[in-house]
Amino acid sequence: MQQRFVIDVSGYSRFNPSRRAPIWWGVLGLILIEASVVTGFITTYFYLRLMAPEWPPAGVEPPPLLLPSLTVVLLLISCATMRWGGIAINREKYTQFVVAMFSSVALALGVLVLRWVQFHDLDFRWDEHAYGSVVWTIMGFHFIHVVSAALGTAVVGILGMMRFFNPRQQIAVIVDTLYWNFVGLVWIPLYVVMYWVPRWL
Amino acid sequence: MKKTRIRSDGPISARPDTEEATATLDRTWLSPPGFIGWFTHVNHRQIGYRFIVTSLIFFALAGVLALIMRLQLMSPENSLLGPELFNQFFTMHGTTMMFLFAVPIMEGMGIYLVPLMIGTRDMAFPRLNAFGYYVYLTAGVVLFASLFIGMAPASGWFAYVPLSGKAFSPEVGMDVWTTLITFIEISALTAAVELVATIFKQRAPGMSLDRMPLFVWAILVMSFMIIFAMPPVMTASVLLMLDRTLDMQFFVVAGGGEPLLWQHLFWFFGHPEVYIILVPALGMISMIITTFTRRPIFGYTAMVLSLVAIGFVSFGLWVHHMFTTGLPHLGLSFFTAASAMITIPSGVQIFCWIATLWGARIRFATPMLFILGFFAIFVIGGLTGVMVASIPFDMQVHDTYFVVAHFHYVLIGGAVLPLFGAIYYWYPKVTGQMMSERLGRWSFGLIFAGLNLTFFPMHQLGLEGMPRRVYTYLEVMGWGSLNLFITGGAFILAAGFALSFWNMFISRTRGITAGPNPWQADSLEWATASPPANYNFRHIPVVRSRTPIWDDEEADERQLVTGLSNERREILLTTVLDAEPQGVLILPSPTIWPFLLAIAVALGFIGIIFSPWWFVVGFFLSFFMIVGWLWPRRPWQEE
Repeated sequence: MQQRFVIDVSGYSRFNPSRRAPIWWGVLGLILIEASVVTGFITTYFYLRLMAPEWPPAGVEPPPLLLPSLTVVLLLISCATMRWGGIAINREKYTQFVVAMFSSVALALGVLVLRWVQFHDLDFRWDEHAYGSVVWTIMGFHFIHVVSAALGTAVVGILGMMRFFNPRQQIAVIVDTLYWNFVGLVWIPLYVVMYWVPRWL
Repeated sequence: MKKTRIRSDGPISARPDTEEATATLDRTWLSPPGFIGWFTHVNHRQIGYRFIVTSLIFFALAGVLALIMRLQLMSPENSLLGPELFNQFFTMHGTTMMFLFAVPIMEGMGIYLVPLMIGTRDMAFPRLNAFGYYVYLTAGVVLFASLFIGMAPASGWFAYVPLSGKAFSPEVGMDVWTTLITFIEISALTAAVELVATIFKQRAPGMSLDRMPLFVWAILVMSFMIIFAMPPVMTASVLLMLDRTLDMQFFVVAGGGEPLLWQHLFWFFGHPEVYIILVPALGMISMIITTFTRRPIFGYTAMVLSLVAIGFVSFGLWVHHMFTTGLPHLGLSFFTAASAMITIPSGVQIFCWIATLWGARIRFATPMLFILGFFAIFVIGGLTGVMVASIPFDMQVHDTYFVVAHFHYVLIGGAVLPLFGAIYYWYPKVTGQMMSERLGRWSFGLIFAGLNLTFFPMHQLGLEGMPRRVYTYLEVMGWGSLNLFITGGAFILAAGFALSFWNMFISRTRGITAGPNPWQADSLEWATASPPANYNFRHIPVVRSRTPIWDDEEADERQLVTGLSNERREILLTTVLDAEPQGVLILPSPTIWPFLLAIAVALGFIGIIFSPWWFVVGFFLSFFMIVGWLWPRRPWQEE
């Protein structure tokens, strides 16, 4: 059989930003998986609530509102600082990029401290009733995700200090930001479910 | 069929393939030999092969467990296995068949075949692929090891609470189950994500979505189903783990928990799981029928749409496993309707195959025999499926051997028969040798006969009221002779499978040399050597139709891509819908990090069985491994 070359790819870029890169799709897959887990937790919350005679159980107050609301604000700001870092790379302002990454990490650390205080302030334990179990589990689940996102972004920041990234080579930043936005934004539905649902519904 | 969108700018001057250039390319894609080298392999064919071989071993082990259970049930009041051991055996049989055999082998087939079928050199995340395998291997070995030290789980493969809760199963066996099920899903999920990314971004130029082989479509649908179905079972097993280790109250009635929550979460996974196994089998059937009738499949678009429809509808059926739990009747009726609805896309598949077979000159080689066997068995399983979808009937036979008969017909008929057909069909591609046709025919005959002799009488036993999962029964029940008959059938069935295993084993050395395309098939995996060289394709092919090999032969011309480097692992990226060339990606080389990460994650998970603090250890250890894995080495990448 005759062989004929019809496409020459030697001139194609070896750097693949954003959606062209399989890793972008891979991280999107990771987010879908995590979102399914979150849906599982929220379903669990509502199912237990549906079956319970009283929700929260008699004599138990829903957790206080101030700190988790503050967490929402911190997380939204951190999504903005991540975006700021992405813009910095495209403009080749590498110091600004490193500052952006580490300020996001600092905001995440703030979230973790606030969350730790909330754990201490809860007036029920995880092993007292199903309500306690589900609240502790969801808060803990999100806590671990913030830790992972902060660790990952710190590494991206360190690579930025080593001048690893540039406008062509920034796929790691793009996917880290994608994941960060998921971790930040997923707190909003969890926040509404855990802190407002017992007050409203 | 529409014309290709790839512009052809006339002949492109490309350097001719000198032997030296080919040797360089081969070295670039080489997996290092040696014992330590083995732990660094990332090539999709190596990893896919390992998944397939490992899951076949688990299939054999779980089969042996079934045979021992059949020996126990052979006569009334038998005392070969005590009740505890019998419980462990059926739990391990189900868990192994579902989690360690069926899902991994379908993924293994996908990992091995998809890159070849879409014309690329490796998968999108080769190291993740290797990681997934080590996770699977560790989880499987630990789970099975628990059986030998008498610590195996014993609450059935769906582990219903409260039986599986701490109050009724204080033994460590259930902890093994909850942690390892969570752990092993990581492997399924990494493979699924990676298959999706590979299928979306790495198809050969011109292979638009409407030219993709049906097996690749099936794997795509399976992967999406895994992405949405496995997380709920992870959620469920984590909640049960928390109940058992930290005394949480999710499923404990006294603490306001809900045992039925477990059933909902489990079956929301468990029902799609059945289709996760079935859908790739449907893809295999379409490929084999195309080849052995030498016709393009009838109704390609209808086939694709029905695959996707099966994927969607399968998420709306889970409550039909829970008809006897006292749920509201309106809800039950909805799920009966949904269960009936899935017969529509399944029917479309069957009718399109019949239309393809109609009037064709069919070659009755072993793979085709297994497919015809599938038709017979799957239809019987489907009929009993319609029966148990009716609530009054289900109430009657729930938890009896009728259900056991039904799902073995569906699972063995629907998935295992096509799978063995697929093994006979693709074996020459993997090894370069043909499997023996004579042994293959004998094996098929024994499996087909054994399957019916074993499981058909179980319908009767179920109607007579014999409950499943009992380790023995009294003589006065009158179930003895049927059970003896079934045990005999089970050994015939096992002999059939053993013959195929033997065939796989000896054909490696004694089989006839296959050549690139022994079946005169149409899809791209047959356009390269058997077994393929390290680089899969010397040049990436350009696809102009749904049956590229047949049409290239007719045109007497193969169009190719040039310009990928021989010195590093480069693959071509194409657009998601139309597969137009877009960029070149450099893939990583063999590395030990995936193995190290798998060890770190395994330490965390297996540690949780003994103390929750191991989670923290595993978490930070994994973090260091991931950094080591992803850390860029100097010199940093250049164009």
